[in-house]
Amino acid sequence: MMRFVPLVALACALAAPLFIRSDSTFAIVTFGLLLASLAVSFNLIFGFTGQLSFFHAASFGVAAYITAILVSDYRWNFWLAIGPALATVAMLALVVGAICFRFKLREFYFAVVTMAFSEMIRLVVVNWNSVTNGTLGMTVTAQPTLWSPSGPVALSGARVWYYVALAVLVVTYVVCQRVLASWIGRCFAAIRLNEQLGETLGVNVFLYKLLSFVIGSVLAGLVGCFYGFYTGFIEPQYLSITQSLDIISMVLLGGVSSLFGPVIGGLVLTALPHVIDLTAELRIILYGAILIFVILVMPRGIFGLFERPHHAV
Amino acid sequence: MLFEARGLTKRFGGLTAVSDVSFGIDEGEIIGIFGPNGSGKTTTLSLIAGMLAPTAGDLVWQGQGIVGRRPFEIAEMGIVKTFQNPQLFPELTVLDHMRIASHLGFKRALGARRLFTLVWPWAAADIESGADAKMKDMLHLCRLTEARNEKAAALSYGAEKMLGVAMAMMCDPKLLLLDEPASGLGQEEIVNLEAVLRDLRAHGVTLCIIDHKVGFLGRLADRSIALAHGAMIAQGATRDVLASDAVVEAYLGRKHA
Ligand SMILES: Nc1ncnc2c1ncn2[C@@H]1O[C@H](COP(=O)(O)OP(=O)(O)OP(=O)(O)O)[C@@H](O)[C@H]1O
Ligand SMILES: [Mg+2]
Repeated sequence: MMRFVPLVALACALAAPLFIRSDSTFAIVTFGLLLASLAVSFNLIFGFTGQLSFFHAASFGVAAYITAILVSDYRWNFWLAIGPALATVAMLALVVGAICFRFKLREFYFAVVTMAFSEMIRLVVVNWNSVTNGTLGMTVTAQPTLWSPSGPVALSGARVWYYVALAVLVVTYVVCQRVLASWIGRCFAAIRLNEQLGETLGVNVFLYKLLSFVIGSVLAGLVGCFYGFYTGFIEPQYLSITQSLDIISMVLLGGVSSLFGPVIGGLVLTALPHVIDLTAELRIILYGAILIFVILVMPRGIFGLFERPHHAV
Repeated sequence: MLFEARGLTKRFGGLTAVSDVSFGIDEGEIIGIFGPNGSGKTTTLSLIAGMLAPTAGDLVWQGQGIVGRRPFEIAEMGIVKTFQNPQLFPELTVLDHMRIASHLGFKRALGARRLFTLVWPWAAADIESGADAKMKDMLHLCRLTEARNEKAAALSYGAEKMLGVAMAMMCDPKLLLLDEPASGLGQEEIVNLEAVLRDLRAHGVTLCIIDHKVGFLGRLADRSIALAHGAMIAQGATRDVLASDAVVEAYLGRKHA
């Protein structure tokens, strides 16, 4: 039964623009889809491999900066710029992951060290004024174009971006789903559940942790590539710990034991502040209260309420 | 000789947990390791399985030194160890556990071609059904067929230990290292365990089994070694080892007049 939920949701999402009238609703949902993608790839590392990474926002932000800089300053084609952006994220994740996992950093220690690396990268971005424009951030005016038989179409307008965001989410989801359904997913499960046992059953714990971290981070980078062009603006805030915390919140709210839970969490937490019209301070309090409630009362998250209590193996 | 330990020594700070232990294992044998609590039995098996690095000594597997290999490499070479206390995942079923343990089978069968199955999952269909058949066999062998859909949390202690063995068997070990499979088991479960272990041997698996009680392993093991305070105090035919003065003294703390 639950297997069809994502397909039904996709069908609804494809049809939704027929019913959405206002641009502001489109904007909320588009942001929701992009953040949901981040939450899904984060859950590959966190929920499925058991590693609490604080590097996700860094991967996202670095890719956003690199694509924007290549396109705006060096006149690259947007689609070509995705390559070096993701390659850079993969390299960073490889180095950070290799260091953490080689030193067998777990749980709290892994979280803190990835946080430190993430901050280092943010500080580079903040201080490298000549390239990144520092704390002021960069405006991104270029618009990616898509090839079509009748000439290139610019990615602009609420409806088009809605579908772009949906496509990013689908790609992220399918990649994670394929990985988890394969032998790799079994190795991830072994690591999440008991590293030592996994190792005696022949799982190369180092390799598969690294694989999870790199795949998850690159997928976060993919969202970053598009995000800046959607908002038209990039700032160091993208790489902040707060951004990582937001992603974690979405996953906890949606449910850590599935791929679909984070989609719900991402959409709900993005939409909530807009649906309930509150001042910024109250919003943050509400947000915190919801999280505490979720962690204490429904540790499996929203999706976990419907799902049979069991991690995909 | 399938396996040989030479001068195996492990120190934890000032404590010598395993001290200059040497023994060999032939293919198809059942080797018993006896010793009172804290005598270094678990440490010896952990050293063999690569989970600890020896302070000194050599481990030779099929003519090849394996000191310094990582545990997963050693598992891949055919040495798999079970844990003294079953390391299970309460929320998963017995079948889920078996599925997680099927990883090495895939690796051996497909190698790098596994990457192709990421985009074309059907390429692994034969191997997947082969793995399913093997899971079935192993569950049957370990008397877990009826419990296959139970959560690990609902299993009896005896069944938990059996599941540990069944998972290890999914890795197709040539040498299976069992850490006190009989401890905490009832009389009936021990009889059952004995039958399972005989079946495993009939499957061509060489067994190295720890027990600190003398009972069931005395009947099962072809040869044994006995440890006390990390040192090997006797080795040879099981009956002789258990009857030797050194062993009797180690267990009773005094010479048995
Ligand atoms: N990781 C470790 N660090 C320090 N000391 C250890 C460690 N592992 C074991 N020891 C010590 O080494 C000695 C041998 O321990 P080991 O677990 O091998 O004994 P054992 O024969 O398996 O005992 P038991 O019958 O209780 O399982 C003990 O004194 C133990 O306290
Ligand atoms: Mg022990």
